[in-house]
Amino acid sequence: MKIAFTTKEPSWDSMMEARFGRAEYVLIYDEQSGQITFYDNREIVNQEHGAGPKMVKAMADLGVDVIITGNGPGENARAVLAQMKTVIYVGAGELSVAEAYKAYQNNTLEKF
Amino acid sequence: MKEIVVISGKGGTGKTSITAALASLAQESCVVVDCDVDAADMHLLLQPDFAHKEDFYSGLLAHIDENTCRNCGRCAKVCRFDAIVLRNGRYVVDELSCEGCGYCEKVCRPHAISMNERLAGAWFASQTKYGSDMVHAKLGIGAENSGKLVAKVKKEGKAIALAKNKSLMIVDGSPGIGCPVVSSLSGAHFALLVTEPTLSGLHDLKRVYEVVKRFRIKAGCIINKSDLNPEVREQIEAFLREESILHVKNIPYNKAFTQAMVEAKTITEYTDAPLKKLLEESFETIKKTLGV
Repeated sequence: MKIAFTTKEPSWDSMMEARFGRAEYVLIYDEQSGQITFYDNREIVNQEHGAGPKMVKAMADLGVDVIITGNGPGENARAVLAQMKTVIYVGAGELSVAEAYKAYQNNTLEKF
Repeated sequence: MKEIVVISGKGGTGKTSITAALASLAQESCVVVDCDVDAADMHLLLQPDFAHKEDFYSGLLAHIDENTCRNCGRCAKVCRFDAIVLRNGRYVVDELSCEGCGYCEKVCRPHAISMNERLAGAWFASQTKYGSDMVHAKLGIGAENSGKLVAKVKKEGKAIALAKNKSLMIVDGSPGIGCPVVSSLSGAHFALLVTEPTLSGLHDLKRVYEVVKRFRIKAGCIINKSDLNPEVREQIEAFLREESILHVKNIPYNKAFTQAMVEAKTITEYTDAPLKKLLEESFETIKKTLGV
């Protein structure tokens, strides 16, 4: 599974970002290879409108299976995500990335 | 730090008046953020000092370099917005019409056109007359509010709230249900819905609540001008029960809302009457729900 976390900083020690489309960074953890990569979302943060759908496109391009975030996507981003197989978990906006991953493993996060 | 976002869907329900009243009750324990930047008016009530100002850039604007331009008019021909006009025999950009699409830049052979970030307005970090911090923005003529600007003022407000160890951030949310509202609600702990008993009040309440519900944000509702139409009020109350939305308070129609505004005061400053008590009780209910 390739899991994406919306974060404040490009680090595993970072706090999660409750925002979806305008999160500054996305941390991507590939469970199979154990590799952690970062997606710099600041270009999208700078868009006046439609940050959510653009961020979804970026996640699709990166082959992400799961997205863990705070509030979840808005209506437009949700409509795009509904066409994909990506699973979204919400309610992790005030956790650290490590805590959010643990909560995901323990199945305590809510499915969007 | 807990974040309260006040939204209404419909305009004219008293959202800003109630937000300002909550801000005046919270005094310096809160940071106030005005995300209703299309028609920002909370500064009229809270009188911030505009102490810190930063320009805000959003979107693109075409610029023609006169020295390189051969005045061929290709740019004017392709512009779908008629934003390149002949003025005194020279092709120039009409800034209000330019949408920043960049088509002109692509077709310009001598590369005389560049696309630059457009100055859309400014945002401010201020102290209000209550000594609370306030982050707000002012847009230039023709500029529109955006998710980007809302995210910016909220981020600055949050940084101040955390740095100064404030317990509350009170956000005057954006109108409607689009991008700026989604951006206003992101990260909120409580959404205060201000509505009125009219058909459009109920209709827009339902629409905006869809967004709140999707974001799983705890919601409460104040029915302002509650005695305006008992029948619709009952419909609103039924809707609140159905959706398990906290019914914070009914506030009967009161001329003090307008009179306070005319005197550039918050309602709680303007009147000691029962109205003030209703707002104090509302604020206590919200704080209790949030555990602050």
